[in-house]
Amino acid sequence: MNDFHNSPIDHFPDISKITFKAIDKAFLKVILIHVFLVFGLLFVGLFFLVKHEIKDEFPEFYPYFFLGLFVVFMLVLALKLVGFKKRKYAVREKDISYKSGVFFKKMTTVPFTRIQHIEVDEGPVSRLFKLASLSVFTAGDSSDDLEINGIKKETALEIKEFISQKIDE
Amino acid sequence: MNNKFDFSQFSHQSKKGILVIYANLLFKFLKATWILVFLFFKDFSRFPDYVILYIYLGLGLLLIFFFVRAYLIFKNFQFKIDQGYFVLQQGVLKKSITSISFDRIQNINFKQNLIQQLIDVYQVNIETAGSNKTEISIKALSFQEAESLKKQLSSGEKTAISFEDELEEKPFLKISPLELLKVSLTENHLQSLLIFVALLVGFFQQLKEVFKSLGKDDLIDDYLKIDNSAFQESLILVFILFVLLLFVAIISSFVRVFLLHFNLTVFIKNQAFEIHQGLLTKKSIILKKEKIQHITISHNPIKKKLGISFITFKQAVSGKVNKKTDKLIRIVGCRKEQVEKIKELLFDCADLEKSKREHSDSYLKYRMYLRSFFFFLILNIWFYAGFDNGKIFFSNILLVFLVVFFNELTFKKRFYKMDDEFLLVGNGSIETHLTYLPFYKVQNIKLNQTFFQERKQVADLVLQTASGKVKIPCLPLSEALKIYNYTLFKAESSKNPWM
Repeated sequence: MNDFHNSPIDHFPDISKITFKAIDKAFLKVILIHVFLVFGLLFVGLFFLVKHEIKDEFPEFYPYFFLGLFVVFMLVLALKLVGFKKRKYAVREKDISYKSGVFFKKMTTVPFTRIQHIEVDEGPVSRLFKLASLSVFTAGDSSDDLEINGIKKETALEIKEFISQKIDE
Repeated sequence: MNNKFDFSQFSHQSKKGILVIYANLLFKFLKATWILVFLFFKDFSRFPDYVILYIYLGLGLLLIFFFVRAYLIFKNFQFKIDQGYFVLQQGVLKKSITSISFDRIQNINFKQNLIQQLIDVYQVNIETAGSNKTEISIKALSFQEAESLKKQLSSGEKTAISFEDELEEKPFLKISPLELLKVSLTENHLQSLLIFVALLVGFFQQLKEVFKSLGKDDLIDDYLKIDNSAFQESLILVFILFVLLLFVAIISSFVRVFLLHFNLTVFIKNQAFEIHQGLLTKKSIILKKEKIQHITISHNPIKKKLGISFITFKQAVSGKVNKKTDKLIRIVGCRKEQVEKIKELLFDCADLEKSKREHSDSYLKYRMYLRSFFFFLILNIWFYAGFDNGKIFFSNILLVFLVVFFNELTFKKRFYKMDDEFLLVGNGSIETHLTYLPFYKVQNIKLNQTFFQERKQVADLVLQTASGKVKIPCLPLSEALKIYNYTLFKAESSKNPWM
């Protein structure tokens, strides 16, 4: 018991003082492709809906339906663009953190000691840009754990390796 | 050690087990087909005699079929203990063998449903760590067999548990029916009513499906329409309905409490709680100290007067089983000294009482009133659109008082306290809930901030444990960060087992 220390601590590592890393720039393209895909489908759907249903009932108004969807599209696009810059992560010696959100800011930290398992996934679009997502799972509600989208696959695997090592220690 | 029973050879359950399995099969069958049976019997009198004969014959065959099946299940269900492994062989057509090493066994619980109680056998559930597929339940063992099996299985545990403590069989807590009556009368009747209504709605939906399939779905809708217009017209009816609901609420909380907590007995053994309770289904649960993630002590004004409160234990469940009932274990009717004892045993938090009570930022109040405002907006739009009678708007006056009362109360009861090891969070409106959480049990921690909160420099904090969340809303940002950092420090530096 000679090497037992118990000196008082008055300073705890501060999460607000560390610099968070931004996720990979290429992931913006992935987000944009997703948004364009979804809205492309919506526009096609609306087009057919207008052609068969709405045009007969509201002959004067039907262009406004397109305008409405276009406004929503622009808003979502703007939100995704601004939101992209807010997606940040940080790996410390003993935990991993992720923060995101423009109007609803969120920050999550998971200590390595509580991690049950780690997953690295690649989506079909992400794979084109050699990007991956890293998810860590704890014993808590699995839906509420931490997921970092859009980091280089090598980085994701490196982090996974790093955490696995730390857990085994 | 009690070694009366030798489990080294494959053995069957008690013969009475056939009956339990049989009843179980029949019950499952009835549950799946009760609507059909009901519809069938409605027209029973209209069938000619020879058809009825066939029906009886078919029914008889079905009963025999289930009996044979139960017998086969029983015959093929065998278990033994073999060199530190519990081996189970089961399956009639598709045989399977499961073997579990002793150190993976987490809990052994006893259970008795109505039939098992009648024929005096016990169901033994063996919980294991890891996947949920390895949950084993042996349907029928005599008490001695069950106890002996439990002892032999636990003897291999790494943390060698001494069974000497069991000599001291004096219960730590025992609730008599009279006390239980007190408990049930002081329950949150509104909650009981909601549960009852939810059950009723489920039943109703099922019935509606049937009528729909018969092409008679207007029947119920018509009935509802009549009810609705009458409701609008007569205040007396509303009053009668209110009294009736109150009555139903009290009865349903009475039934709920007695079903769940009848004969509640708690023992403290080897740093674990052993809880026995239940009327129709008796349950014995062993709560291990390290598996308990956080506890909530609750009371309401009347319970406080009587000096009783109920304690909810949240325990971590093995694997990915998301059975809420297993996570949440509640004991009712604890007196003050018992609450203190439990607190002392689980969490040594004497310092906590001395530390300062911190309240949420007044932004929380602002947010509550904002939400109430939207509630009123939607309510009044509904009044405007759905009712012809203008008098309905007067209900706003009553509601405003209620909402103000509840908001103020909720805000007042929201607080938190912390010492070096524990966090205490208080919340509730009429009821008061005090949640005790050791920092090192936290699995992950979240800080949420909306745009408006950011301007006011406040944030919501969510601490996630292996059995649920503990939230502290609207803290000053600096405070929230302080707790955030401290929790992480505790979780990362702790060597205590958290599960």
